Amino acid sequence: MESGIFHTTYQRDMALRHTPAQWVRLALVVAAALAFPFAANNYWLTLANQIGIAAIGAIGLNILVGFTGQISLGQGAFLAVGAYSAGILTKQLGIPWYASTVLACLITAGVGAVFGMPALRLKGLYLAIATLAAQEIIEWGILQWEPITRLTGGVEAMNVPRPTLFGVRMNTDFNFYWVTLLCLALTVILAVNLFRTRTGRAFVAIRDQDIAAEVMGVDLFRYKVLAFAVSSAFVGLAGALTAHYRTIISWERFTLETSILYLAMIIIGGLGSVSGSIYGAAFMTLLPAILQNLGRSLGGTVPNIAQQIPFLQQGVFGLVIILFLVFEPEGIAKMWRNVKDYFRLWPFSY
Amino acid sequence: MSRKLVIVWTVILALVLVACGGQPQAAAPAQPAAQPTQAPAKATEAPKATEAPKATEAAKAAPAAGKATGEPIKIGALYDLTGATADVGTLYAKGLQAYVEWKNANGGINGRPIQLIGQDYGYKVPNAEQLYSQYTTQDKVLAIQGWGTADTEALRPKIAEDKIPFMSASYSVNLAFPKETPYNFLVGTTYSEQLQVGIQWAAEDWKKKGKTGAPKIAYLHSNSGFGLSPLDDGDKTATALGMEKGLRIPMPAATADMTAQLTQAQQYGASYIFIQNTSGAAATAMKTAKTLGMTPNVQIVCLNWCTDELVLKLAADAGEGLVGVTPYAFPDASLPGMKDAFEFAKTKGTTVEAEGLHYTQGWWTMAIMAEGIKRVLDGGKPLTGENLKAALETIKDLDTGGVTSAKITFTPDDHRGQKTVDLYQAKGGKWTSLAKGVSVK
Repeated sequence: MESGIFHTTYQRDMALRHTPAQWVRLALVVAAALAFPFAANNYWLTLANQIGIAAIGAIGLNILVGFTGQISLGQGAFLAVGAYSAGILTKQLGIPWYASTVLACLITAGVGAVFGMPALRLKGLYLAIATLAAQEIIEWGILQWEPITRLTGGVEAMNVPRPTLFGVRMNTDFNFYWVTLLCLALTVILAVNLFRTRTGRAFVAIRDQDIAAEVMGVDLFRYKVLAFAVSSAFVGLAGALTAHYRTIISWERFTLETSILYLAMIIIGGLGSVSGSIYGAAFMTLLPAILQNLGRSLGGTVPNIAQQIPFLQQGVFGLVIILFLVFEPEGIAKMWRNVKDYFRLWPFSY
Repeated sequence: MSRKLVIVWTVILALVLVACGGQPQAAAPAQPAAQPTQAPAKATEAPKATEAPKATEAAKAAPAAGKATGEPIKIGALYDLTGATADVGTLYAKGLQAYVEWKNANGGINGRPIQLIGQDYGYKVPNAEQLYSQYTTQDKVLAIQGWGTADTEALRPKIAEDKIPFMSASYSVNLAFPKETPYNFLVGTTYSEQLQVGIQWAAEDWKKKGKTGAPKIAYLHSNSGFGLSPLDDGDKTATALGMEKGLRIPMPAATADMTAQLTQAQQYGASYIFIQNTSGAAATAMKTAKTLGMTPNVQIVCLNWCTDELVLKLAADAGEGLVGVTPYAFPDASLPGMKDAFEFAKTKGTTVEAEGLHYTQGWWTMAIMAEGIKRVLDGGKPLTGENLKAALETIKDLDTGGVTSAKITFTPDDHRGQKTVDLYQAKGGKWTSLAKGVSVK
């Protein structure tokens, strides 16, 4: 039992993990992630890949919304930019999929920065509407604007060549799991460390009070645009991975509904928390799947309920989200912290 | 946070973990929602190639009528019961289920019952991907009955790769040709051809009304792959007939009023408006058009997903004069292809008229898949996706007893089941036939 964590050096104070228990937990998570694909079938691998990709996108969005306090409804469109950039680069120019993934991040970062410029003048709900415009403009561009539709194929879904690495096909559920896992690990490491740097601190300062941040010498315009760029780069990565994993891109995957789904992920997972983004992504992907499977088993055992199940599922989905928000507005990340604290301080919690 | 709450949350998290962890085991023996109760007789796994000939022999020995008792044939299904197209999706799903139940009660396919594993996916692509993966990996289905355009297109590469014959209710032309999509089958006429026939009809109607020049046309479409799919092909026909390209007006997802959209068409001077959306949205457009005084001067034409009983019911008197383009016949007890459905519906305490046109559409889509399966079994071949695809491609001039506009034909390089449509017009709250078996000129 311990009475607290005391740091005697600045290095210890800045460390991401302070206690041996944290290292043990990390080791367990890594071991589980490495062992998972050998135990799971393709269905669970599909879910894992969906969660991994969603988590990368959610971390990107969280950097913008949770850490910098800039609301964005353009998430779906930025995912689309990432997916289509990666697809076009690989399909039209023959760039290998891993290279096009990296380039797609940079392109999405650029596009994100441009659409982030109104953030200098607009705050809160006004900014939300400006990013909503970004969503609509990008969607329109992909679908209707001649110079772009020539590349994207407009309405028609775009086929992307299968990704291969040293002759091995990468987009099987098993192989792509490793790609997703690697990208997610990189994203987590980058994002967690970002907030230990000057840039990350500036983001948080802007979120907490932008005028005070400016007084302290934070260049608001520069850092707000930078936040959009950094966030979009990760979102672009998620988009590019979707393109290479599914080998087909259709714009309907990236509508406003997707933007809202991602906002829900980070709100439920925990705003301003990297691990919360992952919990949120997992929660929002698994909940429908679990409800579907529950419905399936119920349908066979309880008579006359089969027809009502889809509607019950929708109701339960909404109800669970409301309950989560009512009982823990700070999200799953906070809940997990509470659980840890409880056991750490047991039996003398106060 | 109090201790009690922490404990509550720990329990909930634990339950979630248990639910996740226990799912594969729990899901495997579970009976799917739409599964017929009499299905599993043998406790064997999915059909193995070596076992299949034996099963066929057993099937031949089985009586032709009566309950099917052999090894079930698993078919996956994606329904839209809660999403954007649930208005017609629910009816279509009922039709699929009804056929399976009827078929299993009447001997199944050569004595083997169909096990339909169907789930709602809410018209959402990621959900469809999850279910697809579950059906193909855990349930090991032979084929899938799909639904929408976006999800079917998103699954395209996987379908071809996994060799899963896939019949969608989306008749997007992008899914019709095996060169691109070898395992997708469309029972209906493509949206493109539906729209092209509609535009041809408009040109004739314009002349018949004694007007000169060419009419202006507008497309009121669902803002989705489904809605946008036929528009480019429609424009080709329009320009060939000397018209301008149609004005494209996307319809909002859920609204009780379409004044903005229809005013746009009015100001453009459209004489013909083509709706590519489902019945709920189309009915709203009809009502708004009547309020604005556009109909009957402006003729509205619906493609197959809003040519049904539902649109007339919802639009009420505003639906008068609406023209419908569809490859499916309306419920009619005198059609031989609907006899079974009529009798089956009666045993369920309902009628085909009450369920509507999409019910027999679903019924026959499943029936055509069953015909393919029967041909595989009759040929003594193992039930695999490849064999089913090949068997479906042997279907030539399959008579649906008047349910479809044309007899069904699939060939190895054309997976469009039909190439003609029927035209109807709403008169006094009822659809009356204008023309039968019209194809693109």
